[in-house]
Amino acid sequence: MTSGDDRPEPRPLELDPEHLDGHTIDELTDYLEAGRVPADPSIDGSPACRLALDALERLHGLTPDLIAADTAAEPEADDGWVRRVLGGIALDAHAGRRIPLPTSEPGADLGITEGAVRGLVRAAERAVPGLVVGRCRFDGDVTLTGAPVRVLVDVSVPYGRPIPPLVERLRGEIAGRLALHTELNVTAVDITVRDVRPHGS
Amino acid sequence: MGADDLQAPLDQADDRIVAGRAADGDVAAFGVLVRRYTPMMRAYTRRILNSGTDVDDIVQEAFVTAWQRLPELDDPGKVKSWLMRVVSRKAVDRIRASRPQVSVDHIEHPAPAHASPPRVAETRAKVDALSDALQRLADQERECWVLRELGGYSYNEIAEEMGVPVSTVRGLLARARKHIIVRMEEWR
Repeated sequence: MTSGDDRPEPRPLELDPEHLDGHTIDELTDYLEAGRVPADPSIDGSPACRLALDALERLHGLTPDLIAADTAAEPEADDGWVRRVLGGIALDAHAGRRIPLPTSEPGADLGITEGAVRGLVRAAERAVPGLVVGRCRFDGDVTLTGAPVRVLVDVSVPYGRPIPPLVERLRGEIAGRLALHTELNVTAVDITVRDVRPHGS
Repeated sequence: MGADDLQAPLDQADDRIVAGRAADGDVAAFGVLVRRYTPMMRAYTRRILNSGTDVDDIVQEAFVTAWQRLPELDDPGKVKSWLMRVVSRKAVDRIRASRPQVSVDHIEHPAPAHASPPRVAETRAKVDALSDALQRLADQERECWVLRELGGYSYNEIAEEMGVPVSTVRGLLARARKHIIVRMEEWR
């Protein structure tokens, strides 16, 4: 900005140690990140350091705005992109442990992967519209026929519906599907509600 | 009907549910993460590289790695910052592979043509100033600053990632901050 008078140009902020009463930007950043404690009188008492600290603080405070603006400037991920990414992933990456299944064929060995059984557990959500199954864990030695196994499941539920009946329904559905499709000795199905969605459908 | 009924709740579920499910091998849930975080990962990669070239390849590679390694993520609720880590590692790898090892006593880079004269939009002025200042930093200064401020890396992590001593990282960051502040002051 120019004005009519002959005031000198405002001096640019000086950030070299000779102008910061012997302190460096590195030190001042550490001081700021430590919450300016313990207080350092040689910094707090220096007008040049205080100006530099203010500038560093403003810069740090601007970072979330930069991330938000940068992200907003990117196009949304379209279906083509999502397909391209999903097309490049290895589908057998999450098979997990091998769970034995009984077979009447002598000498034959039949099994199902942990990943496939997790898929069975997830599919139980279809019986409870609006409920979403998250992570699923089998606590116990699933590779050993007859060993006791607890099923641990995270779920997300829609807001505004009583939770206990939803969870009970899912518990029954999971137990039923596992009994039908596997030989797992399920001692419990533990369901934890981790997320309540505000605009549940 | 059916597919939408299932898709919508999954889209709205929080990161912990979606990432936990993706870690268990559910491709649809992973697709939700891809949709949710592609813009942020692209933006972050673009800042690290200071260029749009290779951004798509790097983000795609990051998702391939993320899919394989999701089961190792202890807290699926932290998938967002974890994805930022994965993609920044890919970006830094790309930089290190493509750039001969140079001295950190850099030559100052000229401003890219489109960055000057500055466009000062009232509400975006400060962010634009920061953006412009970042684009004019030397590559290693910018990489350090972006990893630190946007990626939340510690000094040690940056040093490890970039293959330079911590003292060098401190020096680069101090210079980056100084240059950014001085340039932003010019705008005030």
